[in-house]
Amino acid sequence: MIQLSHVSKFFEKGKNAVDDISLTVNDGEIMVLLGTSGCGKTTTLRLINRLLDASSGTVEVNGENVRRIPATTLRKSIGYVLQNNGLFPHYTVEENICTVPQLLNWPREKTIARCHTLMHKLKLPPEQYAHSYPHQLSGGQQQRVGLARALAADPPVLLMDEPFGALDPLTRDAVRQEFKSLDELHTKTVVLVTHDIEEAFQLGDRICLMNAGRIQQTGRPAELLFRPANDFVRNFFDRQRTQLELSTLKLRDIWDTIPSSHNGENYVEITGDASCWEALSLLTSSPVIATHNGTAKVITGSAVMNGLQTYKTR
Amino acid sequence: MEPSTSFFDFIQQESAKLLQQTLTHTGLTFISVLIAIAIGLPLGILITRRRRLSGLVLGIAGVLQTIPSIALLGFMIPLLGIGVKPAIVALFLYALLPIIRNTYTGIQGVDPAVTEAATGMGMSDRQLLLKVQLPLAMPVILAGIRTATVINVGVATLAAYIAAGGLGEFIFGGIALNNTGMILAGAIPAALLAILFDWLISLLQKRMTRQSRMRLYLLPLILIVLSSFYLLPMRNNARLKAGFTPEFMGRRDGNLGLRTVYGIHINPLVISDMIMYKAAYEKTIDVISGSSTDGRGKAFDLVVLQDDKHIFPPYYAAPIATNTILEKYPELEPTLNLLAGTINDSIMTALNYQVDYLKYSPEKVAREFLMQKGLYQPARNGSKGTIRIGCKIFGDGYILANMYKMLIEGHTDLAVSTKLGLGGTKICFDALNNNQLDVYPEYTGTGLLAILQTPAEITDTLIADKDKVYTYVSREFEQQYGIKWLKPVGFNNTYALMMRRQQTMDLQIKSISDLARYLKK
Ligand SMILES: Nc1ncnc2c1ncn2[C@@H]1O[C@H](COP(=O)(O)OP(=O)(O)OP(=O)(O)O)[C@@H](O)[C@H]1O
Ligand SMILES: [Mg+2]
Repeated sequence: MIQLSHVSKFFEKGKNAVDDISLTVNDGEIMVLLGTSGCGKTTTLRLINRLLDASSGTVEVNGENVRRIPATTLRKSIGYVLQNNGLFPHYTVEENICTVPQLLNWPREKTIARCHTLMHKLKLPPEQYAHSYPHQLSGGQQQRVGLARALAADPPVLLMDEPFGALDPLTRDAVRQEFKSLDELHTKTVVLVTHDIEEAFQLGDRICLMNAGRIQQTGRPAELLFRPANDFVRNFFDRQRTQLELSTLKLRDIWDTIPSSHNGENYVEITGDASCWEALSLLTSSPVIATHNGTAKVITGSAVMNGLQTYKTR
Repeated sequence: MEPSTSFFDFIQQESAKLLQQTLTHTGLTFISVLIAIAIGLPLGILITRRRRLSGLVLGIAGVLQTIPSIALLGFMIPLLGIGVKPAIVALFLYALLPIIRNTYTGIQGVDPAVTEAATGMGMSDRQLLLKVQLPLAMPVILAGIRTATVINVGVATLAAYIAAGGLGEFIFGGIALNNTGMILAGAIPAALLAILFDWLISLLQKRMTRQSRMRLYLLPLILIVLSSFYLLPMRNNARLKAGFTPEFMGRRDGNLGLRTVYGIHINPLVISDMIMYKAAYEKTIDVISGSSTDGRGKAFDLVVLQDDKHIFPPYYAAPIATNTILEKYPELEPTLNLLAGTINDSIMTALNYQVDYLKYSPEKVAREFLMQKGLYQPARNGSKGTIRIGCKIFGDGYILANMYKMLIEGHTDLAVSTKLGLGGTKICFDALNNNQLDVYPEYTGTGLLAILQTPAEITDTLIADKDKVYTYVSREFEQQYGIKWLKPVGFNNTYALMMRRQQTMDLQIKSISDLARYLKK
């Protein structure tokens, strides 16, 4: 668990880069820090692993004030993925990944075994890549090495600063998918920084939306969309609002507004856990039928849009 | 003009000495580079941690770099005397800037994302430095070491001026003696050393890819081995320490004469004329090869030992000029001859004293002397033509050249341009002979021995008599080069062994024979 209480940080007097932030990240949760450029996301992240020290307020990791832990000890227990990956250019992929285990003096076999396991999981076959240097890899591969390096010593906490920032949209999506399906992550407390709204919605269990050093709202994606705390939050999502709403809402959320109908032929079958957006995407090529709580309903475009409208006015 | 020995003959004859000087040179270079690394690298690292110091440290190192090398060596003498120590310190100071600066910029140049990653992974400051910053900065740091090494191979040639040995001994000796072979024997190995070291370090730099990090640890080892080549050049067991100029060292009428005629084997340090007098005064050395009219002899209260067996030939100063220029401007010769016979030894010593010790400008001293003699006339600013006057880097030369300039400008319609302080006989004479100079003051003895390279059989018959020498050189110069010796000025600036007055009294030494006897005791 990570807990920030009334944390402020300024670089020049009178201008807080981070202003009175209170935030709790639960164990096993992915918390996304979202906000415009310069709003203090990176600063917040660096306050957690003490690359910066707070000007006021306290930061706790697993119940202990970070100031009481020697910085190097603290950092070895926190995985850190940098915005532009920060791989060591003079180290091979293997050496890069083994950095923290080595600092922790793990036995060599254990270190290498762990490294190779991770490389397999991240689709970087060790036979092929273990002894390559970072500059010989593609951007996406480098990003994955950065992730493997952060995960190597199996830290309970993971901080990620725009880990997919430098990638083209297609690669970014692929790396994101891999990331999401990584079993390693389910047990970790993750803080992920991004300014990409779609990414925040795709990856975040909860989202913390920031502006000018202050937290505007923290909550599940649906909460931010449908129950915005202020105008900033409302306006922030406006450009992509419909799409976001559709991908956030599950069919089961609007289940009772969908009219019951009969079974037919050639339907694609999905469950109530599918998002409205997925249902609409499937509809473009074939009729869709969804099952929830033992009942099956035919999904149509108008049913979904009606459902959304009803949901919002409820 | 034929050099007395060709380059290849010379290195054959002097191969042992050449090897020793090359090793000394290598040693000097690398001891200083090693010390510069030992101090510059930590300093460079320090200023990446204490950013506020960086301006100050780099500024000071930068200023040190701009001090002319000869001047820096000169500054060292009052502090550290002569010999190895000041040379190493001076070289070290030159090597410092490239090493500090490259360490600093190398570390600063490491991608901040990489250092942040390292810190964020939990590396301590030390681990960050050793595992990340230094390895990544190493190519830049090596480039700094490379620059420092090449600079030092060059500057180390000047170490010969302050009796620290090295290839400079041949170079300066050769320039002074007009011996091309000897100059090349110093210059070519020095250039080869620079090229060799540059190449070796560049090799290391290229090899310094990630795979061969190990090799780097060899570098300090190699440097230490190279440094140890500096076997202290002087094992001085004589009862008195001598310091002779490179010129004096190689001459028949110099150290060779001392050995053969007087039987003096004193194993002298090679030292620059510029610091020799002061070093004698400060008791760093006891016997020097001065010149009899040098003002510094008077200034530092040194006395000339009597040359009772006549090994030093007469060195009467006279202007020499090309026949071409004398024919083109017939008024030139009588004007230059106005000075003939006007300056005897003691006047010249006094004039030099005013320049060397009282720090009057040679121009002022020259003008006052001419006024006193009634020879001074204000410049006419004529434009009939330009006479190019040169002089060697000695007090006599500066004063005489200034007098000639004033005489020509005051008594004729010619203008004068001066090239003063040329590095030695060879440089002056070659300039005259190649029509880059028209006139410069030269000594009869130098003409006889250094320029004409007159064989021993002939010189032996001449050197007891100053007129015979003058006649001989006049004739030979006329025939061989078309250069004319005008009338001598009057003083005889011969070589002289000099010692501190007090010491000569204590040891009862008046002549060179006395010195020989004392040394044999
Ligand atoms: N080391 C620093 N010195 C001075 N000001 C800083 C420093 N680091 C950040 N700031 C300032 O603090 C504010 C927040 O910076 P921060 O890096 O946290 O923004 P960010 O939200 O991560 O932005 P981006 O999305 O562009 O990375 C900015 O105004 C920035 O200029
Ligand atoms: Mg940022």
